[in-house]
Amino acid sequence: MDEAKPLVSLVGVAARIGAATILRDIDLKVSAGESVGLFGANGAGKTTLLRVIATLLRPSRGVARVLGADLSSHERFEIRRRIGLIGHSPALFPELSLLANLEFSARIVGVPLSAAKDALEDVGLAAAAARLVGESSYGMRRRVEFAREIMLAPDLLLLDEPHSALDPSAVELVEHIVAGVLQRRGAVVLASHDVAKVAPMVTRTAELAGGTVR
Amino acid sequence: MSDATRSRLGPLDYAAVVAVLAALGYALASPRIESQGDAARMLFVHVPTIWLAYLAFAVTFIASIAYLVTNKLRWDHVAGASAEIGVVFTTVAIIGGMVWGKATWNVYWTWDARLTLTAIMLFVYVGYLALRRVIADPEVRARRSAVLGIIGLLQLIPVHFSVTWWRTLHQTNTFRPRDIQMDGPILAALLGSVAAFTVVYAALLRHRIRLEKLEHAARAAAAAPVGPVAGDAVTAPNVNRAGGQP
Amino acid sequence: MSDRFWQQAFAVARRDLDRERRSGEVFWVTIPFGAIALLLVPLAVGINQDVLTRIGTGMLFVVVMLFGVLTAVRRTSIETPEQRDAIALLGVDPVAEFTGKAAAGAVLLLGFELVMAAVALVLYGLDIGSWGWMLVVLPLTAVGLAELGTISGAIAASTDGGPALVPLLVTPLAIPLLLGATQTVSVERNGGNLAWLVLMTTVVLVLAIIGVATARPLQETR
Repeated sequence: MDEAKPLVSLVGVAARIGAATILRDIDLKVSAGESVGLFGANGAGKTTLLRVIATLLRPSRGVARVLGADLSSHERFEIRRRIGLIGHSPALFPELSLLANLEFSARIVGVPLSAAKDALEDVGLAAAAARLVGESSYGMRRRVEFAREIMLAPDLLLLDEPHSALDPSAVELVEHIVAGVLQRRGAVVLASHDVAKVAPMVTRTAELAGGTVR
Repeated sequence: MSDATRSRLGPLDYAAVVAVLAALGYALASPRIESQGDAARMLFVHVPTIWLAYLAFAVTFIASIAYLVTNKLRWDHVAGASAEIGVVFTTVAIIGGMVWGKATWNVYWTWDARLTLTAIMLFVYVGYLALRRVIADPEVRARRSAVLGIIGLLQLIPVHFSVTWWRTLHQTNTFRPRDIQMDGPILAALLGSVAAFTVVYAALLRHRIRLEKLEHAARAAAAAPVGPVAGDAVTAPNVNRAGGQP
Repeated sequence: MSDRFWQQAFAVARRDLDRERRSGEVFWVTIPFGAIALLLVPLAVGINQDVLTRIGTGMLFVVVMLFGVLTAVRRTSIETPEQRDAIALLGVDPVAEFTGKAAAGAVLLLGFELVMAAVALVLYGLDIGSWGWMLVVLPLTAVGLAELGTISGAIAASTDGGPALVPLLVTPLAIPLLLGATQTVSVERNGGNLAWLVLMTTVVLVLAIIGVATARPLQETR
């Protein structure tokens, strides 16, 4: 990875959802090895900003480059595989087992199926591998998503409110995953409204208010 | 309010009214079609309405492609407005055709290929309009309905083939305007009413696009009630009241 | 088409079939629903065996169209916005995703058709010219309907009331499949079936092209 260029570089970025402008004039740079904590009240636009960085929401204005790709062009499709996003509600299929969910991801990206099993073990769910997601608790589902990010090893990890519904050992797990990404010279952006809780995981903070970074 | 969104009637609207009155007056004054009786004067309304329906859906098709290529919302407004007008005129054409059929054959519906196709086309675009209603986000709505606007018209080609083919196998009484002896005055009256209805289409389209723009602006205004960004919509809660005082 | 493409398409199809196997929606809801529709018709129109035999094939394909489309809106084929985001971030090729979903849909529809055909045969006594044609027509109808269902499902995805809309979007566009299927197998017209078969095949191929061409714009939620 080119050390000189930041992994995330947003200049004057605006974003809308429907007719509503959620973000305006965002400037944000995140370099390799950095973990940025994004703070702000409810409705400040934290989730929207994460979705923009994740290439899922196209900016309506400004220049946005992530992992070398211009987000307003087709280049954004090429880098998706290298981005991990853990959102508010777990993105799993309720009819499939915890393991089958991970195996699906493994088949799509082409990593060996054994990696799915290993990752499940890493997050402490080896014994529950055959359990259906629909019959698992919220905390367990979040752990499965952590397992997915361990398995996929993204260069850019985006976490939305990483602390919701986590017990202390799971918090430790998230810190471990974040440390792993930074060790690989990747980058992390995490959104939270609780500065104190995420402090151990971030190298820098930015505050989001009025649709812009302060 | 910009000029484009102002509601006053323009020259196009007056032209549409005058053109339709003139065309229909001419059609009523034109000689009686002996073989068909006065009911055949339906021709002067029926043919233009069905022509408008096809024109409107073709415009939706072209505007849908234009939207996907340019990503400009105004093409989406054109596509949606035109489809709406197309659905109205298709309905009018079907009802008119039924009345005419009743007068000529004493039945409302014949399984004529053209009639069947028109009915199918109506449902395709009713689905298109229904889709536009259920998607709130203007850009998502524009992209999805553009795809449907293109597929809908493309798929009407095999639909057309299959239905005409099916009907040629089971031939019954089929209405073909071509069967009517089109001599000078009648043909002139028909072309005149087609032209007049096309002006009506243009006038309606202009107004419908204007409304579409106003709707878009109204939604944008409602989405940002307080400040320039939506985040300002959330303010500090009133703790005293929320605490549940007597 | 690379190995990777097929690997992804296969993974998507397998996931959809696994989800259906667990939820059993097609097996426990759509199939019985279709069967009862076939049972209702004689109750409504009378049980004259000649009449039933004559309308049997037509009723079979009408039920396949109207109720088969429900497989496209089965709960397990609908993705939440979060699931769509996560799949997009796996870097899945949208065309592979379309292929996999349509393939899984076609398998389910074919199963549905076979059960409906058996029920119709028992209840009506189908007047089929040649069962050979039937064996070609059933898979073609299944693939065509699955393509339409997958495209329409994607068009209506993640919208309020979207799934309820899918049958309305699919049914008028599926008319060439209905006519092709009924005309190919109808006895009175033995001989002209090849032309109808060509029409059906063309429709299936054109829908495949449309599905491939629209896969990317439809995958993008924004």
